[in-house]
Amino acid sequence: MKDWHTHVFTSTYTADVSGVCSMLYELGGMTVLHDPSGCNSTYTTHDEPRWYDSKSLMFISGLDEMTAVLGDDSVLIRDVVKAAEDLKPRFITLCGASIPHIIAFDYRGAAKLIEKETGIPVLPVATDGLRSYVSGCGLAMKAWIRRFGNKQAEKIPGRVNILGVTPIDFSRSENAEAMRRAFEEEGFSVRVFAMNETFEALQEVYQAECNIVVSAAGRSPAQYLWKTAGIPYVEGLPSGRDMVRKIADAVRTGKCTSVCQDYDPDGRTLVIGEEIFACTLASQLHGQPLWPDVDEGLDEDVLLEKMEQADRIIADPLFQYGRRGDAAFIPFPHEGYSGRIFRKDIPVFTGNEFDIERYIRERK
Amino acid sequence: MNGYQRIADMTYAYNADIGLSYSSPARGVWNIVHIGTLVPQSHQIFVCPTSCLRGVVLTTAELGAMDQMSTITVGEDNILEGDMEEALYNGVVKILSRLKERPRMVMVFTSCIHHFLAVNYQRVYKILRREYPDIDFIDCYMDPIMRRTAPPDPTLRRQITRVLRPLPKDETSVNIIGNEFRTGEHSDLYMYLVNNGMTVRDITRCDTYDEYLQMGSSIANITFHKPAAKAGKDLEARLGQKWLPVRTTYDYDVIDADMKRVCEALGIPAPAEKTIQEERRKTEELAEEVRTLLGDTPLSVDYTAVDEPLMFTLWLHEHGFRVESCFIENFTEDKAVFEALQKKLPDLKVYSSLNWNMRTVDRGHEGMITAVGQKAAYFNDTNHFVDVVESGDMYGYRGIRRMLELIREAYRNEKDMRSLVQVKGWGCHCG
Repeated sequence: MKDWHTHVFTSTYTADVSGVCSMLYELGGMTVLHDPSGCNSTYTTHDEPRWYDSKSLMFISGLDEMTAVLGDDSVLIRDVVKAAEDLKPRFITLCGASIPHIIAFDYRGAAKLIEKETGIPVLPVATDGLRSYVSGCGLAMKAWIRRFGNKQAEKIPGRVNILGVTPIDFSRSENAEAMRRAFEEEGFSVRVFAMNETFEALQEVYQAECNIVVSAAGRSPAQYLWKTAGIPYVEGLPSGRDMVRKIADAVRTGKCTSVCQDYDPDGRTLVIGEEIFACTLASQLHGQPLWPDVDEGLDEDVLLEKMEQADRIIADPLFQYGRRGDAAFIPFPHEGYSGRIFRKDIPVFTGNEFDIERYIRERK
Repeated sequence: MNGYQRIADMTYAYNADIGLSYSSPARGVWNIVHIGTLVPQSHQIFVCPTSCLRGVVLTTAELGAMDQMSTITVGEDNILEGDMEEALYNGVVKILSRLKERPRMVMVFTSCIHHFLAVNYQRVYKILRREYPDIDFIDCYMDPIMRRTAPPDPTLRRQITRVLRPLPKDETSVNIIGNEFRTGEHSDLYMYLVNNGMTVRDITRCDTYDEYLQMGSSIANITFHKPAAKAGKDLEARLGQKWLPVRTTYDYDVIDADMKRVCEALGIPAPAEKTIQEERRKTEELAEEVRTLLGDTPLSVDYTAVDEPLMFTLWLHEHGFRVESCFIENFTEDKAVFEALQKKLPDLKVYSSLNWNMRTVDRGHEGMITAVGQKAAYFNDTNHFVDVVESGDMYGYRGIRRMLELIREAYRNEKDMRSLVQVKGWGCHCG
């Protein structure tokens, strides 16, 4: 019987609420997680390497039993208004976990009331704490673009947006910079959503001729921009010189496509991780990718079976728990899975310089 | 650093935990995973949505204790289908069938969402208990939405004692209940009881589950911390073990009274007046030595380090130390202590580390400061700090002297504050 719910041995990917916070972290806003407790400290402790050294505004609403039972949204609204008056963020984002979801908290209504009272733009991002960060990143980015993107901007030849860049998938800012550099060397001008960029730079999102989706988190904003503004998108992780060129060539065709689908679904090398990452590496290694579903994560039974059948596994070190078989295990830490535990071991795996074969050799 | 209130300007009703709050990087305070992991040969199963699971799973992973924990993810399908009970039952059965070693005790943590969907988990436990008679199933809760009336931490400290059953009483055996750290040479009470022939049982000293169950044979339970009160009361009602709460305080008279009360209850002589005076003398001497060493160097105290931060602050002030600030979220100590501080140290700066304003304060301190506690260290941005949570293993005069030694050590030597405060579960070696 299929059972994605039970995990006897393995960890869990981070949730949508962390995705929202991570995606909007550097843009000068204030993000409020509507939840009793825990989601905020989980995000700041495990998923956010920038927390200690910056002052980005991320808070938990502290929802309690009576407030939830009575549906008293005025508590949240009052607190957010007061904090906004003190802290003067550029914008406010409301997201939340499972209790607001099941009591049908009206994100849009609360956002309107807060905006009316503070004069500060408020983005309602109706997360539910049940889905993965991929969903949260996408919802947050779409909401931000919808509200702040300059739709009147004229296209700039050679401009591309790199979508889906957060520390959850890329950890170090060097990874964001390596991608930027790689595409600049290919003659593009680049905007990275959303690391090491300013609010104003990202407002010019509609100047792009093409979007590059480097993680699944960037897919839904890319689809949104394709549907609403006709900006095509290319999926693929610029990991190594060949992939950079392949993506660059695809971008120049001006068509929507994916350049990370050359993997072997029966390959003996198993790459586990974020979807675009896993597909890209599996394509390079003639292996098979395995990635978590946004709603259901990874089915542990399927996961363990595939690990047992593989000759070689490339995955976050936490996947070693409960594994059967004697496949060679190449650790490739992923912040979205193991959080900060192996953060120092996360390589710069984007850009022209990265070579997956060499990475594997060095870890054998 | 701004963002404080003068204690003279505050009311006793102060409570910062009112809503929107900030989470600082200081993470040393234990959470429910750390507490649960104290039970030997146990297994924890968390049944929650992904957003709640993430924190507990990675807490466990950081402890290197992934083999002691499993999860059952609550999904949208469970909400729509209304099959939470089936998912819980099937998940637990599957987990038990896959574990390499059969646990003696299983703690099943349900979450906020189970309350709101009125899940009948007690029925599931009833079935599981029938089908696995060799395993103790304990209902546990990760439900911070209930924190106003039934916070998860004290509830868990009680729940893990629910497996203790009535045993023939051993008149020479007494329990310490609800402590996170093994007490010993820095605890007057522990040393006194041992020196008077008592066997002191404590979960932190148990290597096996059977050893833990033997705590049912003790005649009394001593609790040192307020979050342990639920467990103490519950055991008194269930097993007839006398509950003996003592305060981890800096008030000498309270220490003496508590020691006397415990001894009377256990039928052993109380510490002699001469002994008490000698303890006090040694404590005063060390206090004077450390005060002289620190001179005018200010101190900052936080509530995560000591049980009674206001009493501690008052004691330090009365012993000539220069206490500049106190990080505290609400006043739960005697009003008299609060009022004494208002009178004697009106300019004491009181900070709430949860307040949203603390996110944007300029952390730091002009000139050297020594902090007691991780939050005080973080916000004052000082490497001179006492790295301890929940009073560590300290109690009584020995405990006070130990704290003074730690302050002296913190004043003299720097620590890597940035790294240390971010580690979850200070001193947790239970993994």
